[in-house]
Amino acid sequence: MLDNLLLGLSAALQLKQFTFMIAGTVIGLWVGVLPGLGGPVAMAILIPFTFSMDPLSSLLMLASISVGAAFGGSVTSILLNIPGEASSAATAYDGYPMAQQGKAMVAMGLSAGASMVAGTFGVLVLMFAAGPVAKAALAFGPAEYFALAILGLTVVAVASLGSTLKGLAMGALGIAISLIGVDSILGSERYTFGSVYLLDGISFVPVMIGLFAITELTSMIIEGGTVAKAGKLEGSVWEGFWGTFKYPFVLTQSTLVGAFIGVIPGLGATAANFLAYGIAMRTSEHPERYGKGAPEGVIAPEASNNSCIPTSLIPALTLGIPGGATAAILLVAVTLQGLRPGPMLFTSNPELVWGFFMGLLIGAIMATILYIVMIPWFALITLVKIELMAPMLLIITLFGAYANERSMLDVFVAILFGLFGYFARRHGYPLISLVIGLILGKLAEGSFQQALQISDHEYSVFVLRPLSAAIFAICVVLVLWPGAKKRIGVGGAEVT
Amino acid sequence: MSTDARIRNYSREQYSLIAVLLLLFCGIIVFAWKLPFDARLFPMVIGATGILLVGLITYQELRRLRGHTDAVSADDPAANSTWPRFTAALLSAPVFGLVFWLFGFFVASLAAMLVMPPLMGYSDRRRLLTVGIATVAFLAVFFPYLVGVNLPHGIVGDWLIDTLRPD
Repeated sequence: MLDNLLLGLSAALQLKQFTFMIAGTVIGLWVGVLPGLGGPVAMAILIPFTFSMDPLSSLLMLASISVGAAFGGSVTSILLNIPGEASSAATAYDGYPMAQQGKAMVAMGLSAGASMVAGTFGVLVLMFAAGPVAKAALAFGPAEYFALAILGLTVVAVASLGSTLKGLAMGALGIAISLIGVDSILGSERYTFGSVYLLDGISFVPVMIGLFAITELTSMIIEGGTVAKAGKLEGSVWEGFWGTFKYPFVLTQSTLVGAFIGVIPGLGATAANFLAYGIAMRTSEHPERYGKGAPEGVIAPEASNNSCIPTSLIPALTLGIPGGATAAILLVAVTLQGLRPGPMLFTSNPELVWGFFMGLLIGAIMATILYIVMIPWFALITLVKIELMAPMLLIITLFGAYANERSMLDVFVAILFGLFGYFARRHGYPLISLVIGLILGKLAEGSFQQALQISDHEYSVFVLRPLSAAIFAICVVLVLWPGAKKRIGVGGAEVT
Repeated sequence: MSTDARIRNYSREQYSLIAVLLLLFCGIIVFAWKLPFDARLFPMVIGATGILLVGLITYQELRRLRGHTDAVSADDPAANSTWPRFTAALLSAPVFGLVFWLFGFFVASLAAMLVMPPLMGYSDRRRLLTVGIATVAFLAVFFPYLVGVNLPHGIVGDWLIDTLRPD
């Protein structure tokens, strides 16, 4: 093991690799800030440029983009309530109220601290537990995946206390939207009405841009003024950075949630982000503080998405099953370099594998440093007048919707969801539930159908398998918990 | 706006939203009806669950209305904003989308930068012109050269390019 670590360190610390990592991180930070143009998009655009690079440089640059984008995505979540990355959406719930209180730099410091700790932990898990964890993930069958998808929806719906019904309804709507297009199991066309655009289903990016960016822009224009209500900034980056360590329980819990979710193929950093937030609120002694600028509300989602990114590479590198979009693109890059993902990769190319792991470790720290340097400049955005900022954001966000697939229809989808989102949010319908439903819908249906086919259409399969039954039991407890909590007189926060 | 009028407007919006959701969930069931059993099973379950949830939400809202619980706060920004600002907020994205589709990036972006702020009450015209032109110029370089996405000319722009191109 020590030999491998040293081998990896010597490979990763070469000037060439270091330069590619810095370039990747800066590109990631940059595109992460732009709604619609997240890490996977930037990675996909840059893949052709990696053909001529050596395998380690190309993998490190692509992975650094992903790490940088995770940091960059939280910038606009905190400052403008517009997630640059889907995996930073839950960060906005407490990050934005902190920015409104003039504590944007503290919130970004918290995000930097949590991201660095969790990112480092995620890479360590990737290094030392890749083999055993991948084997454990194999114990999850379709019934368990279906149960996990329902758990994801339940946690988010329940997190919106006082409107659990509305949360569940939005989750159902999200799943319904995910059903549009060609059914992946049976190949039937559903709800396409003859449109070629709808054959692949509604893309996730314009929906996200609409629900988060356009909805927030609409509210911003109505309210006016500046994001920082007092018109000045309070606190410092370091106050936030060191503040992260005042909440060791939330930090540890959310890091573990993210690392676990990352290992399960199909869930990814966005689900981890929301789940960790929901769990942190559920387990908090003061859930009423959430949604109003609680530091734990920034730490939880940021820790989870950053620990999720490295661990999502475990099934990708060991089994060839991507845990999310980032892992899928890295798999493509590995294959394009003439390598074959799987257990043999570890024995045939130890320098590449361990160099990549050490590069990720160094990259997590490097991204934190670059992020901290840039925070004071980013924070100034909260002092710009909304009358000037709103049109700029409108252009950038809707162009982001267009740029995703160069499709004008995506722009109209974003607008439609934006207007729907504005009224839905105003009336207490949590938009995150819709997003989670949309993300997990395909996984839920696919697993549901597969479980039924394997069990010869025995519906009891979902409760007879112990792991699946346990996950469903957690769902039931979560749904009943708010009522029980009300009876014993403990309040809760509302998240929309 | 009086409190009664504000609550009336808010309730009207609430019930409209419920109706939209109900319509969507009913549509999910209706349009899945003719699909093969396995393909329609999951949509049917989701549609039926949705209808049930919308029913429960309606019951909850009716109870709240009867109990005169505060549905909308007195400092609701939407109720307190001026009509040009409210209109700008709701129409800016659709109008931008339409102009973007018809006339492309430059016309839509310049229109957004120069028309939206005055509608929201911004009065410093000189600064507006400077910021507007600088922003559009920067984005026109940023998107194609640094992000790698070409700027769309819009259908009118494409038509003009085709028409004016020498044979």
